[in-house]
Amino acid sequence: MIVTRDLSRQFNRGRVKALREVSITVNPGQIFGLLGPNGAGKTTFIKILLGILHASSGQATLFDYPVSSPSAREKVGYLPENHRFPEFLTGAAVLDFSARLSGMQNKQDRTDRAEKLLKCVNMWEWRSTKIKKYSKGMLQRLGLAQSMLHDPELIFLDEPTDGVDPIGRKEIRDLLLELKAQGKTIFLNSHLLSEVEMICDEVAILHKGKLLRQSTVRELTTSDQRFQIHADIKNEHLLERIRQSSNALQTANGFLEVVVSNVVQLNSIIDMLRSEQILIQSIQPYRQSLEDSFVQTIQGAGAADFNELLSNQTATASEAHNG
Amino acid sequence: MAKIWAVCFYTFRESLARKTFVTFFIISSITLALFLFALNVDIVDGALRGIAVFGNEPGRINFNLGEFVRTIETGIATALFTGGLFLSIFATASLVPNMLQKGHVDWLLSKPISRTNLLIGRFAGALAIVSFNVFYLILGTWLILSIKTGVWHVPFLISGVLIVVIFAVLYAFMVLLGILVQNSAVAIMGAYLVIFFSPWLYQRDRIYALLSERIYQILLDGLYYLTPRTFEFGEIVTRSVLGQPVMTWEPVWHSVLIGLFFFGLAIYFFHKKDF
Repeated sequence: MIVTRDLSRQFNRGRVKALREVSITVNPGQIFGLLGPNGAGKTTFIKILLGILHASSGQATLFDYPVSSPSAREKVGYLPENHRFPEFLTGAAVLDFSARLSGMQNKQDRTDRAEKLLKCVNMWEWRSTKIKKYSKGMLQRLGLAQSMLHDPELIFLDEPTDGVDPIGRKEIRDLLLELKAQGKTIFLNSHLLSEVEMICDEVAILHKGKLLRQSTVRELTTSDQRFQIHADIKNEHLLERIRQSSNALQTANGFLEVVVSNVVQLNSIIDMLRSEQILIQSIQPYRQSLEDSFVQTIQGAGAADFNELLSNQTATASEAHNG
Repeated sequence: MAKIWAVCFYTFRESLARKTFVTFFIISSITLALFLFALNVDIVDGALRGIAVFGNEPGRINFNLGEFVRTIETGIATALFTGGLFLSIFATASLVPNMLQKGHVDWLLSKPISRTNLLIGRFAGALAIVSFNVFYLILGTWLILSIKTGVWHVPFLISGVLIVVIFAVLYAFMVLLGILVQNSAVAIMGAYLVIFFSPWLYQRDRIYALLSERIYQILLDGLYYLTPRTFEFGEIVTRSVLGQPVMTWEPVWHSVLIGLFFFGLAIYFFHKKDF
């Protein structure tokens, strides 16, 4: 559905590299989250996919159409970040204009669809009010409605819950899950990692324009090698034996956290506990929050960048010394 | 085509909301009301016997009815060509820079409409706003004068077409400036400069005599051939309304071609631009 190959974008004659050879594939029917700190290139990436910005190099397609073609956007909805709808129009008029631009030519279809969506985002009673009187949250709801108006297959949402109250956020999350259930694909760009974790199937992490990782949320938050064993162990000798049999061990509040190389190693630890008549209440793979995983990934990239910089400087200094 | 029409319609609505269209319309309506209620023409056996403005007779009339009608129509056409054109430029200058505002242009470009069609729709919308007002005044004046005098002078209607054409040419230049600098004040200044320098460029032969270097002559010739010839256009409008023969229509075709060139450039830069 979305395929990019070595997509790059530079600004200021190459001095700023907003995207560096980003290759991402998004399959249909999922909620895909694009994560990254400020200035990572997330909005640049979305804008290139929507033909708003041109790529410096690389390829990008939507539904197998090159992103420069208007046909690529026929089945696409978009909620821009900091959008600015025409203030002189009412909510209903914004939707009508949006629908006409999206190719909905039948007036009755446009009216019916707008009514359905305005009710869906709780904006029906504000339909005849000019949008200059709308609050930020109301504008966001209207923006969400316009992005779904022509029943698109793919919806890009750039910070969809920005300015929306907690109840509104929950409603938007539920709406996105409903859209997913209908088979729609949602491409989400959000700073709120807790929200992303709740609804996204797959995420990509961008940092300084580079794609650091693309994987499922489950892969990012769970580990095959780290397990949490709920068991009350007071025997120090036993703990020492487990420490020797595992790669790492931590204990806290009746929980044992072990890092193992494989399931065989885990089972030998379980055997050890059972042979000492220790009651195991539960064993579960260790699960960290998406935020923790995100921070680790970014920090890892930061350390790698630092090491790269250091080695470059060392090489330069050595060349200068030899020269 | 439906999408271009949607953009055109939306541009019309934007103009209505910004009150520029309404101001234009009110000025035109006041002018029409003046002709309708204030001007009384006394005709006996097809000849003009007297004119009264607000009930006052300005004096003895010593020209014929047809001449009288053409004089009034020429006055309207000239006023429209200068004042109306200035008002139209002012009323439509912000349309393209407004469309390019951050957050708004992203939304428009994300729709399945090509940048070319988006710009054509915007251009057509501006043209529709100006055409509506120009023809409202021209047709209204023509009808009132024709009914009151019985003289149906069709060439006056051509002036409406010519005024809309020269506006379209100047607006193409404004669209280009709007795309390049995204500033309505610059677009207005650009169009006014073209109008201001047009008579100077037309009489460039006289300026050559004052300049010693050949390069200035080449420069002035270049400017003359690369800008719309609004001064000559104005003369054609006057001659058309007065029923005098037009020596050459070349300034019209030349200006239209220049307008197309500007609009083509605007489309090219709009396609190249990042938002």
